This record gives sequence, C-alpha cells and structure tokens, in this order.
Amino acid sequence: MTNSGVVADQSALHPREWRGSSIGTQLRVLTGRSLRALVNEPRLVVLSLLQPLIMLLLFSQVFSGIAQTSAFPPGVQYIDYLMPAILMTSGLGAALQSGIGLVTDMKNGVLGRFRSLPIQQWSVLFARSAADLIRTAVQLLILLGFAIVLFGFSPAGGFVGIAAAFGLALIVSWALSWVFLAVGAWLRNAETMQQVGFLAMFPLMFASSAYVPLEGLPGWLRAVATVNPLTYAVDAARNLALAMPVGGGVLGAVATSAGLLAIGVFAAVRGFRRPL
Amino acid sequence: MTDTMIEANGVGKTFDELSALTDVDLTVRKGEIVGLLGHNGAGKTTLVNILTTMLPPSTGSARVAGFDVVRAGHEVRRRIGLTGQFASVDEQLSGRDNLVLIARLLGASRRQARTRADELLETFELTASAQRQAKNYSGGMRRRLDLAASLVGQPDVLFLDEPTTGLDPVSRIGLWEVLERLVDEGTTVLLTTQYLDEADRLADAITVLSDGRVIASGTAAQLKADVGKRAVHLALSEPDRAADALHTLRSAGLNPAQDTAAGELTIPVTASTDLTIVVRALDEAAIDVTHIALSEPTLDDVYLALAKSTA
Repeated sequence: MTNSGVVADQSALHPREWRGSSIGTQLRVLTGRSLRALVNEPRLVVLSLLQPLIMLLLFSQVFSGIAQTSAFPPGVQYIDYLMPAILMTSGLGAALQSGIGLVTDMKNGVLGRFRSLPIQQWSVLFARSAADLIRTAVQLLILLGFAIVLFGFSPAGGFVGIAAAFGLALIVSWALSWVFLAVGAWLRNAETMQQVGFLAMFPLMFASSAYVPLEGLPGWLRAVATVNPLTYAVDAARNLALAMPVGGGVLGAVATSAGLLAIGVFAAVRGFRRPL
Repeated sequence: MTDTMIEANGVGKTFDELSALTDVDLTVRKGEIVGLLGHNGAGKTTLVNILTTMLPPSTGSARVAGFDVVRAGHEVRRRIGLTGQFASVDEQLSGRDNLVLIARLLGASRRQARTRADELLETFELTASAQRQAKNYSGGMRRRLDLAASLVGQPDVLFLDEPTTGLDPVSRIGLWEVLERLVDEGTTVLLTTQYLDEADRLADAITVLSDGRVIASGTAAQLKADVGKRAVHLALSEPDRAADALHTLRSAGLNPAQDTAAGELTIPVTASTDLTIVVRALDEAAIDVTHIALSEPTLDDVYLALAKSTA
C-alpha cells in the first residue's frame, strides 16, 4: 500500500466535517444506489419482463376464442380485455420481487454498513421502494409497448384509458410492494418468500376475472373469484382501459391500496429496524 | 475525560436468556489502539456491536467519542468507522461507487465524494480496479475496500472486527501498516482478534475476553509475563536417545517433557539464556537434533495460564 496518509487531508477536503447528510440527500443517493444496481444487472430486468411477456403471448393466443363466447363483453377484442389484467398481475409480481430484493439486499453486506452510518435507517427502505417503483413503471411501459405494437392492443378508452389503467396498476403494485417489504423485513428468507409468494400468486391470478369473465368460471371458482381482491383491481383497470363505467371500483382499489400501504410501511420500518 | 474515546461500564448482553457478555469494563484513550482478544464466541463481536450502536446493551452503559451509545446513537455514528467480520460493501457497485456512496451519505458534495474516493482507492492500491464491481474483487481487495469505506469520513474511533481473518500473510502485514499509520494520525482503534501476535504487534493494551467476561487486561508484555514460558520444541535425529536427552537437560537445570511423537521434546523457557543452555547441553552430550524451534505463547496459553491463576 502506498505511503501517503490514510486519513490525513491530502487535498482541500475536510472529511472530518462530514457528519451527516439531509434526509433528501439520503433518499436520493440511496435510490441512485438501487437503480445503479439494476443498471449493472440488466439480466434481472430482462428476466422479470420475460414472464409477463410469455403470459401475454400465450394467453392472447390460447384464450382468444373466449371473446366469441356469450359471457364475454360484446365487441371487445380479447387483447384489450387481457392487457389491463396483465398490467395488474405484472405489478403483483413486481411487488413480490421487491420484497425478495430487500431480503437479498439484507444479505449484501452494505446494509450492515448503513447501520453504522449517521443516516435514518428507514431511508434505506424508502429508497429501495422508490427504485422498485421506477423499475416497475419501466417494466409495465415496456409491456404496454409490446402489447400495442405486436398484439394490437387498442382499447376503447384510448390513451387516457391506458394511462389510467397503468397508473392504477402502479398504485396497487406499490402498495403491495410495501406488504412484501414488510414480510421480507420480518421473514428475512428469500427462498421461503419465493415459494409462499408463488403459492399465493397463482390462485390469486387464476381464480379472478383476470383472464376470463367471472361468468365463464365454474360455480365454486366463481365464488372464490368474487372474494378475490385482485378481481376488483383488475376490473377497475379494465373498465378504465375499455372506457366502461367504473362505478366505485377505482376508488375502492385506491382506498384498499392506501390501507395496505399504511400497514405495510409501518410493519416494514419496524421489522427492518431489528438487528441484522 | 475528553481524552477517553471508548468507555464501557458493566456492559452485559443477554440473548434469549443466554448470556453473551457479563459486566464488561473497558477504557480506551484517544490515539490508543486496544486489542480485544478472545476465541470465537468469547463475546468480541457482541461488544463491538454494542459500542457501534448496532445492539443495545442489556445492562450497563457505554460511551463512544463522548456520547452514550443508547441515548445518542446518531452522534456516535457520526464519529465512528466500522469494519466487520464480513465485508460490508455493495457487491453490485464498483469499488469507486461504493466509496462515493458512503461519502455522499456522510454529507460530502458529489465532487468532494469523488475526490475522497480516489484518494482512498490510491491509498489502498485499488485504483486499477476502481471501476470493477466489488463482487469481482478478491478477498484481500474486498477487505481493503471495506476498510477504505470505514475511513471515508476520517472517523475519530475505528472499530475493526477480526480485520485480518482470511487474509494472506502479505495482505495481513499491509493492513497492519495502514493501521499503524492511522493511529499515528490520531485515530483511536478497537481491534478484535484471535491472534496474540496480531494484538502484540498492534495494540497498546489488550483486553482478553472469555465466555463474555474480561479475564485479563494489560499490555502485551504484561500478559506474556503472566503466561510466563515460551517453549523450545526439538526433534532428535535418533528418537531412541530421548531418555538420554531428558536426563541431560534436567541436569542442566531445565524442565523438559516428552511430546507424544517419538523423539520430540518440549522445554519451557523462562530466561533468554535458556535457549543457549539447551543447545550447549545437547551438544556436550553429543545428541543431534534435526529440528529446533522457539514458540511464542498462543491465545490458548494465555487462556490456560489465566484459568490457572484465577483458579
């Protein structure tokens, strides 16, 4: 190692006077860190896009016949029916990924170092969440691009309808991501989260109105789908995109999200505060 | 009082009714480097975690850089650096980005942060790998980056938890030299280690922990005096002459013992002239040796001696 002073000033710097940064700087710098990790690992972004893309491809081809059945809203293309649901379920997947990402990050030594720094520990969580929100938004936009260009997604609601459905999916995803962040902060086990997450997600996704109208489901499944909150979120996004009457659906979805968000933030911050 | 940088008073820590630390007192003055010596599970890391505000103590109190670790944790964290047992760097980021990140979080501007990062990269000979992701670093490089990260803000007190574990000998010595320069520049260092020679080389004072209690403290010389004997180990070229050799050495006033391996002896050494006496006595009796070595006391010897003296 070179013989220069290790901590002594070699330039006009006075590191001893750096005794902490503002909360705004902490959030900005830490969000930048999480985003940079994404940029450095583009594979992960591509992989997380793959699943919704495959679903979009398979479902739009396999289930397109449903559009001819009597249960299906007349005059609606299947892709226009399907895409809002894909946005919502992709948001759900991204939320789970957010929680798993936190657990992985907690194994990354740098979170240990953050604990010894004069920063607010919750800023680490909020920065991760902000980065995840940006990642999810980019992911959903790419999906929308594919759907429009390759699959002819062109719902009756037009640009405004698409933007509203996109916004709603993002809100729901963000709220759910805090639930998964809380689960991650307490559970701290990526494998368990992955398994529990998939076990929970598949029934949620299929026993809902995401891919076929409720009327097309067998009776017992329809009963499950009727109590499935995802049904209401999907319906709200779909009605926005298709320019159909939304009723209280959107308000309900936003209010539920706000509730989940509040619980999730509270539990996540508490769980995260425990020693690593 | 302002001279005391670390002060622990009756610190105890209990995990699920299991006692990890009991009634630990520790004082480290400004510019001192104190070694915390003990085996795995002795409580070294727990004590470091309490002093760095990562864990609250169950009993007692501690002050670091003049601030209470429980009531003024934030003030403590503004003045300390910590290098833990496992490298606390962001694997996804480059070495340089890691250091810039810490500097920014400490309150440096973007430009200051970059300047400081480059300074430290050069000091720790990481300039050539500055742009590589830390996950591609070797163990030694990661350790150096980790140490650099804990020095970004010129901490008043530096905590090092087994900093040389897993390092090759050259990196180990390099790290020792860095630490010595740090202390010259006025940094106070608390260092945990399992190696007596490391504490001996670096520390002004040593505190020995065993089962969560302080069982001894003092300078390395004092501890070694307590332990007493270094020992000469030798192997005879003709193993069947072991009895002969034992007799010869006893006549010379020494207290040799036969090792489990045939033809090998251990002779405790108290005075510096004892080694000469061993060699001369064997030479006069025409007993040839193939191997002779002087061993320093190990941590085990310290433990054993202390256990004996407190029994």
